[in-house]
Amino acid sequence: MNWRTEVFAGVVGAILVIPQGITFAYLAGLQPEYGLYGAIFVTLFTSFLGSSSMMSGPNTAVAILIGSAVLPLAGRGSPVYIDYVFILCLMVGLIQLLFWLVRGARIFQYLSPSAISGISAGAGFLIVMASLDSILNLSTFNTTFFYEKLYIIVSDAKDLISPYSLFIGVVTIAGGFIGRRYSHRYFLIVAVACGYLAGMLVSFIWPQPVTELEYLGRMPLQWLPLHVPTVNIEYLMTSIKLIPYALTIAFIGLAQSLVIVRELRMTTDQEIDLDKEVYAQGLANFLAPFFSTFAGSGSFNRSKANRSLGASTPLSGIVAAGFVLLLITFLGPILTYMPMAAMAGTLFIVGLDMIKWSDVKHYAPERPELVIYLATFVGIVFFGLATGIAIAVFLSVSVFLLRISQLDLSVERDASQATLKVKGSLFYASVSHLTEQFRTLRDQDLTVDLQYTTHIDQSAVDFFTHEAGSMATHGTALTLLVNDQQRAFLLSLGLSDTITLRSTQPDEGDAASE
Amino acid sequence: MNLTRSLIRVRRRSAFLASVFAALAALLLTPTALAQQSLPSIEQLVNEPFLDDYYSNVVYGYQIVNDTQHFASRYVGNALNCKNCHLNSGTKADALPLNVAGMYPKWRAKNGKRNGIGLRIRECFVYSMDGIMPPDDAPEVLAIAAYVTYLSQGEVMGAEPEGRGVPTLPATGYDPNPANGRAVYLEQCASCHGEQGGGVGDMPPVWGMNSYNRGAGMNRIDEAAGFIWANMPLGQDKSLTHQQAFDVAAYLNLQYRPADPRQSKFLKLLEDLLP
Ligand code: HEC
Ligand code: HEC
Repeated sequence: MNWRTEVFAGVVGAILVIPQGITFAYLAGLQPEYGLYGAIFVTLFTSFLGSSSMMSGPNTAVAILIGSAVLPLAGRGSPVYIDYVFILCLMVGLIQLLFWLVRGARIFQYLSPSAISGISAGAGFLIVMASLDSILNLSTFNTTFFYEKLYIIVSDAKDLISPYSLFIGVVTIAGGFIGRRYSHRYFLIVAVACGYLAGMLVSFIWPQPVTELEYLGRMPLQWLPLHVPTVNIEYLMTSIKLIPYALTIAFIGLAQSLVIVRELRMTTDQEIDLDKEVYAQGLANFLAPFFSTFAGSGSFNRSKANRSLGASTPLSGIVAAGFVLLLITFLGPILTYMPMAAMAGTLFIVGLDMIKWSDVKHYAPERPELVIYLATFVGIVFFGLATGIAIAVFLSVSVFLLRISQLDLSVERDASQATLKVKGSLFYASVSHLTEQFRTLRDQDLTVDLQYTTHIDQSAVDFFTHEAGSMATHGTALTLLVNDQQRAFLLSLGLSDTITLRSTQPDEGDAASE
Repeated sequence: MNLTRSLIRVRRRSAFLASVFAALAALLLTPTALAQQSLPSIEQLVNEPFLDDYYSNVVYGYQIVNDTQHFASRYVGNALNCKNCHLNSGTKADALPLNVAGMYPKWRAKNGKRNGIGLRIRECFVYSMDGIMPPDDAPEVLAIAAYVTYLSQGEVMGAEPEGRGVPTLPATGYDPNPANGRAVYLEQCASCHGEQGGGVGDMPPVWGMNSYNRGAGMNRIDEAAGFIWANMPLGQDKSLTHQQAFDVAAYLNLQYRPADPRQSKFLKLLEDLLP
């Protein structure tokens, strides 16, 4: 481990996470300091307890879900709202720890990568829409579908849009896009700086009572914001409504973290323990409310930056956490006059970056993947993140099941008999594929080659027994080509003795493994 | 079959009895019961472990008014709290009481808009608290609005509540004299507010960079004189003469304090950026 690279990567991570913490807190409906505490403590605990160089912390999808879960229960940012957020995060942490207890990290491999991309693109869209609120200085209004909101904004532009705020937002976004030409790593910081200067310019010409610009304000930051979440019967009764959201958040949070970690494990030589990462993320989220912050998960963009700077241990995450603390202590007074429009401008860029045309092209050749991606995206755009995620999970699992219930069958036949080679898993969902073949081959002696079959279950055995019976009435016989293990297994499941079992020469692979 | 029917009948009868009792009880207890039901006291609310959205906001608003420095620090730029001017947490007559929800929204010809209580609250943040104007949907603003609504229960919509604002002092025929005011200040006020106006202990400052700014209502001599006459020195309401109140208000007005955010924008920017 090279500690200097780790520390440098940590410093960059800290600079990147500050605007994200602030804006994601906004998405979660909380005051900015809660996001910054998340950038410190969730990052710290996950890195400290985990085993990888993944950067955890405030996360878009998680933040949006928290916002949409708690908003029906209390007014944005009010004390009760915050209490509910904390209870929600406790639940999320517990559910994730439960996942760890049952070693549940494996189930996330069923979530197809295209589903994750679709969720990310959908979240990006939601971020862009949310950022419009602050860029245009709209007061909150609710619409069911995004196009209604766009319609209202356009038709009432004169009354709704604040030109000052729009100016700052546009300067921020322009700064970001120009900055990107020169530095891919720091352009967000360039964007924030441009927005800040634009804000200074505006406040120099017009006073705040005229512009009514929204500023970040003084953040009551503490080094150790300890807090005991209120949990009592009344809260818990109401919180039952939060359970579906807690499950969704726990799931999507872990899914993102594990996708990052899995990629790190495949492409670097870090020694990563997936279960330990689940444990780290779960415990970090469970502890979050005790440190006045909300749940988070692995961040794609910061983990990527971290890796490109050469970090390969959890140290960089720990350094990042410490550095956020230092930075905000010194930047605090400057951040006070940060226009929210500038923050929203960076959010706009981040959101736009998450919707990638290249993803569509990437998945285009594989029809099912493309369908998952598009259905997830459209689901999120029209029905919200939670519904979109449900669609993504459902489609991923369906495609997965369809795939594994597919059998690879090949037939060799000569004058007297036929051989059917079965590749794949032979279980209740896939057995039906065999039926057709058997119909056409019935009037010949048939050998079924099961060497390449990965799994056989009871319904397959029943099927063979039944088919052997009906073949006998046609005067033909069924032979199964099996290895020793399969022979014992089939007999134990009660295979009829009208079927001949022929042993294959043990496979090289099998021999080696024994 | 029979059994269920009789069960239903029994249940119906008991429901009827219950409602009769309830009505009787209501008739007997109406005055006290209703008053208690419609307006739990703020102390009751504070001690309640669980509140609905409205009452939790009322409590939050109450906390902000009492301890603005802690509960709404995001938008505060000086060392004051709302209750320093809105005495007794906004419940004292003639001390800018906050039971004024019925007076809003009021029509302002200037921008052709109706301006709600929210704008008034935000203005006190910018001027009296020398801070940042919160957005109109900030949780702090909504909470204070809820508290104002709570205080205003029982007031008549659109009618000026008793003791709103501060009393308007009749003209004395003499111009306010800051030199006289200084004498009054040193004699009557300095023990609490300090010779340098910075406040002794946790008394609020009346001038200096930690006090209200030049745009504040308290910076108008009439307003300040009315407030001081009716409420200061604390505990000795209305002990000053009208002339003394005008003089001391004029003296306070001469002292240095943060600039009006609507003018001298550059100065304001510097003031804010250099703490
Ligand atoms: C320095 C003294 C001062 C402080 C501190 C102060 N105010 Fe005021 N406030 C005034 C004065 C003076 C008025 C009335 C004068 C005016 O209308 O300009 C007023 C008026 C109001 C009104 C309207 C009352 C009415 O009769 O219509 C509200 C509401 C209000 N303030 C809320 C607040 C809140 C909330 C805070 C704390 C964040 C606060 N004020 C802090 C001095 C103060
Ligand atoms: C016994 C101590 C005491 C004395 C004497 C006193 N005040 Fe005050 N004054 C206070 C307190 C305490 C407050 C805040 C009220 C609260 O928070 O309940 C206050 C508030 C004020 C305020 C509004 C808040 C601010 O800081 O701007 C003004 C103006 C004021 N006093 C002026 C005066 C003047 C003028 C005199 C002399 C005539 C005076 N006071 C005498 C204790 C005192």
